[in-house]
Amino acid sequence: MSLPPPTAVLEGGRKAAIQSRRKNLTFDKVSFMVVFLGIPLAIYLLFVIWPFLQAFVYSLTDWSGFSPNYKFVGLDNYARIFTDDQFLKALSNNVILLIVVPIVTVVLSLILATLVTVGGSSKGQVKGLKNSSFYRVVSFFPYTIPAVAIGIMWGQIYDPSGGLLNGALNALGLNFKDYAWLGNTSTAMACSIFVIIWGFVGFYMVLFIAGIKGIPAELFEAARIDGAGRFRTAVSITIPMIRDNIQTAYVYLGIFALDAFVYMASLFPNAGGPENSTLVMSQQLFFTAFQRGQFGMATAMGVVLAAATLLFSGLVFLVNKLTGGSEGGRL
Amino acid sequence: MNVQQSFARRGFLRGALATAVLAPMGGALASCASGGGTTTGPTGTVSDANPFGVPDNSTVDAVIFKGGYGIDYVDFAGSLFNKNHQGSTAKISPSTAISTELQPRFAGGNPPDLVDNSGAQSIGISTILDQLEDLQPVVDAKNLEGTPIKDTLYEGVLTPGTFNGKLVAINYVLTLFGVWYSATLFEANGWTPPKTWDEAFELGEKAKAKGKYLFLWGKEAASYYLELALSSAIKEGGDEVRVALENLKEDSWKHPALTKVFEALDKHVKAGHFKPGGSGTAFTAAQAQWSNGQEALLYPSGSWIENEMKDQTKADFKMTGAPVPTVTSSSKLGYEALHSGGGEPFIVPSQAKNKAGGKEILRIMLSKDAAANFAKTKLAPTIVKGTVPADGFGSTALVSQTKMLDAAGKNVFNWQFLDLYGMNKDVLVVWNAFLDGKSNAANLANDMQKMSDKIRNDSSIKKVEIK
Repeated sequence: MSLPPPTAVLEGGRKAAIQSRRKNLTFDKVSFMVVFLGIPLAIYLLFVIWPFLQAFVYSLTDWSGFSPNYKFVGLDNYARIFTDDQFLKALSNNVILLIVVPIVTVVLSLILATLVTVGGSSKGQVKGLKNSSFYRVVSFFPYTIPAVAIGIMWGQIYDPSGGLLNGALNALGLNFKDYAWLGNTSTAMACSIFVIIWGFVGFYMVLFIAGIKGIPAELFEAARIDGAGRFRTAVSITIPMIRDNIQTAYVYLGIFALDAFVYMASLFPNAGGPENSTLVMSQQLFFTAFQRGQFGMATAMGVVLAAATLLFSGLVFLVNKLTGGSEGGRL
Repeated sequence: MNVQQSFARRGFLRGALATAVLAPMGGALASCASGGGTTTGPTGTVSDANPFGVPDNSTVDAVIFKGGYGIDYVDFAGSLFNKNHQGSTAKISPSTAISTELQPRFAGGNPPDLVDNSGAQSIGISTILDQLEDLQPVVDAKNLEGTPIKDTLYEGVLTPGTFNGKLVAINYVLTLFGVWYSATLFEANGWTPPKTWDEAFELGEKAKAKGKYLFLWGKEAASYYLELALSSAIKEGGDEVRVALENLKEDSWKHPALTKVFEALDKHVKAGHFKPGGSGTAFTAAQAQWSNGQEALLYPSGSWIENEMKDQTKADFKMTGAPVPTVTSSSKLGYEALHSGGGEPFIVPSQAKNKAGGKEILRIMLSKDAAANFAKTKLAPTIVKGTVPADGFGSTALVSQTKMLDAAGKNVFNWQFLDLYGMNKDVLVVWNAFLDGKSNAANLANDMQKMSDKIRNDSSIKKVEIK
């Protein structure tokens, strides 16, 4: 009886291992993989990746949107939209929104969140202002109103002759008779931004409150014993501890600012505001597709919008990482 | 914890991508199914009672814009269709967003048999011109009473739907444009609607003395003043003004007739005859300031205005229409000439499965019963003559429309370029600034010319020659 050569033993062992792995592919496992991996993956490919590719392909064509025929025009659409003063205007308006909306919303909701959680009396337990739960509910109200309704409502408030705003200003003795807040280039964008922020602050405040509640109260108490005031506590404890929430908020708000279609379309129906001062890319895309029948060009705009969004998200992650945020963040 | 976090992040990025890209590309998404060939479909026997050969036991799929006129007038024709063609049924569906709703069906090669391509989201007709049936056979056919339909229509009502010599759309509703006023208010003050811009200026001064304005506007409807200016300039300078604009000719906006009209309007703006703040006012609110608040005397609009403001018009307002003022009393087309557009353009796509059925419903709509029913229930005339009685069902606006039409005779005109090339959005921007006093007549002409030049020089936009 001679021993088999060592290699044969090894091979036999490997075979056994493979066989046992195959045996482990029970119906249970396979069905689990199909349901939880296969189906989502297929859906993801079909409804996310495939439209991406399609959209990119269509952006290279002169497709009108209403006929099955089109021909490829290369990068013409991109060349056109980047020399089109209106699209560039829309792009720059989006950049303004991208800079202003997230930062103002985040700062405002952080302040409010701090006030209702840790901004209260400096004696006894760490707590928010008196009646803070009432404020919390009230400031969440705007978020429960659909964006279109918000747009229409504020359109009425800004109305030059019968609007609440001019009415209030006139009652204070200021002469704002017939001043068109949404009709002047100097105020249209600022007024729109105000409406957007008004609609969002409550939601992000609640998000931050949840974050702050997750910070152990002992930390605040210890800081207070060490003599830190409310502002110092907010800057040195609250913000670093809820950094991930802030990053999330920032990315979401940025993506929204790059879209902003609903608010702008309901504040300025059918047009881009005075001298296009509030025109955004998504509106230009919509007009190009459905009014001009240039779907090829409109999809090119969509691709640019998508690229801008990705770029923005990437930038936020990068900045957060460079400034010492936690790996990746908690999203 | 780490694994979960990274998964969550990926999920988020995925979501971000999806929201960012999918939202604007919804339209493109819907296009996966582009393709399909021409369908001829089965045809029935052609007879006098069935001139287009609607097949037996077929279904007609009609998608109708549901706006101010509703869809019940097509339902009315649909029930007549069901009665006349036993076994066949007309399926009338409403839509408020024709373009976004039907885009995938056009791209996929299965459009409806009949479409009312109307509303703010109508399909730009130039993008589907070569996919539409020639509707000449419909107007050549006899109506249910046995008269050829073309003999029963008002003058010039088919031109708005004719492109490159082919009748592709039948505008069912007759829409007249003019300036509208309260006959009661004018009578009480001894005013008359102005026939020239000089008279209009005088009237503006009189209105000012009474603490009123001559005109007002709303931000989404600043373009109504472009309509006013174009009508006035075409009356002054004749058809050449219109043809040059229609074909996007160089310097077409610098025509002396247009210059004079723009200057006249500018004078009104600078004299404070426009109620300030229009560029920040919703047009419905602005129109109510005219029809209910009577803050302004005149409002330029189409004849739909009475129906639109029905609930917000002062009692005993007696809304009446008048032709727009001309520059001189010796204008080429005369004061009575009218801009007569069409509303509710009905089209039959060539790829539709039951084209005959679509045409048959149109034929029924253009016959006496359905047309009379429309006039009576909507207080608006169709393009079919003789459906409005002398008392206009008690509507002063309707009576004045018939009067204006009769006075105009053959002097009716229309233009298509604004809708054809989807210029409305840009027009609003320019005209809001002008009516606000932030521009002037020369800048206005320049801005409009730039808009026109941009379209002319853009080789990706298909041009339609208009005569």
